Amino acid sequence: MQWAAQAGFEREGQADACAMSLNGGPPDIGPAADSPAGESRVNHVVNEEVPQTALTGLLDAAIDRQRATAVLDLSAHSLKRTGTVTDARDAEERLASFGVTLTDRFPTHLVLGLLDLIEMDHDVPSPVGVDEDSRQAALRSRGGVAEHPTNRDGALPARRKVTALPTDPDVVDGVLRLVAEMARALVHGADGVSVSLLRHGRLSTVAATDHTIMEMDADQYATGEGPCVDASIKGRRFHSAVLDDETRWPAFTPQARKLGINAIMSSPLRAFDQPVGALNIYSRSCLAFDAADQATATDLAHKASVILSDAGAGVNDDQMALRFHDALLGRRMITLAIGVVMEREGVGEDAAFNSLLRLALYHGETLRGRAEIMVRSSSEHQGQSGSGSGV
Amino acid sequence: MSEPASNVLDVYRQEAGLSQGELWLRYFELGGMSTGFELEAYLFGMLLPSDHDHDVIAHALNERFSELGGDHPVAYLGEADDA
Repeated sequence: MQWAAQAGFEREGQADACAMSLNGGPPDIGPAADSPAGESRVNHVVNEEVPQTALTGLLDAAIDRQRATAVLDLSAHSLKRTGTVTDARDAEERLASFGVTLTDRFPTHLVLGLLDLIEMDHDVPSPVGVDEDSRQAALRSRGGVAEHPTNRDGALPARRKVTALPTDPDVVDGVLRLVAEMARALVHGADGVSVSLLRHGRLSTVAATDHTIMEMDADQYATGEGPCVDASIKGRRFHSAVLDDETRWPAFTPQARKLGINAIMSSPLRAFDQPVGALNIYSRSCLAFDAADQATATDLAHKASVILSDAGAGVNDDQMALRFHDALLGRRMITLAIGVVMEREGVGEDAAFNSLLRLALYHGETLRGRAEIMVRSSSEHQGQSGSGSGV
Repeated sequence: MSEPASNVLDVYRQEAGLSQGELWLRYFELGGMSTGFELEAYLFGMLLPSDHDHDVIAHALNERFSELGGDHPVAYLGEADDA
């Protein structure tokens, strides 16, 4: 697997870019074929096994040249090497210490979601001077862009943006492998982590930090019981703090004990509000996961769920059709209610929507709920009028 | 549409834990007429939605925040806030 990264350094609008593709070979410094006049570009080519070295060399160049802004473009990154995003984050911190702002551009929101995960235990410095032209160009091309957006009222942490909608299972699996690695790093007491995912009606392990964990999951699938299975199907967290005391999974628990596992925590993954899998964290120590660890696991699972929803993972055609059908029913009801308001109040469609919305907010109801009440009330009123006229 | 172009709506979307696809489905359910691509452009401030479209998106997000036990943080541009 190869991945390519491109970094551009910009200073007061002066074009001076540095490109790096990590696929083996020494750095090659020279003008880029597609660069504007006057732009110099460094093609830094290294082996995938040492991307940190390549990144370090690139960043050294950025710092040496005293660039104010560096742009790191991982547009060809396949996410199969999980350390790359961590390397990028380290690079960002290093640049920040030199007063250089890093703007990361990525092909999909998956990477961005992962960077959000990385930011869970660190506050990434808010940058300045986001490359707006490049951002918009990237959006127009739907190539994706990552950035630190303007904070709303300064209340939100810096976040990066997403544009593309990935569906490639390989990419999703790559992301989930990174999620597993992050969980092992962030959850204290975690000795192994896996991600189970429902695909084609069957649970399988799509990411695991080691073979023991793969065996643990396989035992659960084979016995049809265990926290991983329950969390994936029932959609809630299952935590066994001391396996010796565990009685819920009599077939699975002894096998887990044989593999030296003493505590398990499985957090559900969801796509479109349906359980589709679980983030499973294993420990050799009893009582390994405290409240903070449980919260971290929940947060990781939640963010992974958003990523899975974006990718449409685990959602089959029937489920999607059902969800769309329900949305259609709701839309129809709201449209009917808007028609009722238009007739009653003699107003246009937008004004009728606002009126319905005001009512919903006033009563603390959903728009669909208020629409149903209004349509039912109108039907009853018309029924009574019809009965009256018939008498 | 008086609000300047920004990614504020997308920041709310992320806070609400909604994928773009799910947000579009909720927006569609509430009567929204724009495509998923147009919605994405609204979220990133690349296109400015009409006041009505903005309020439909805002309400889709606010209903999600309500489901999560929160209030309605996304401001409306129309007359809904008078309620």
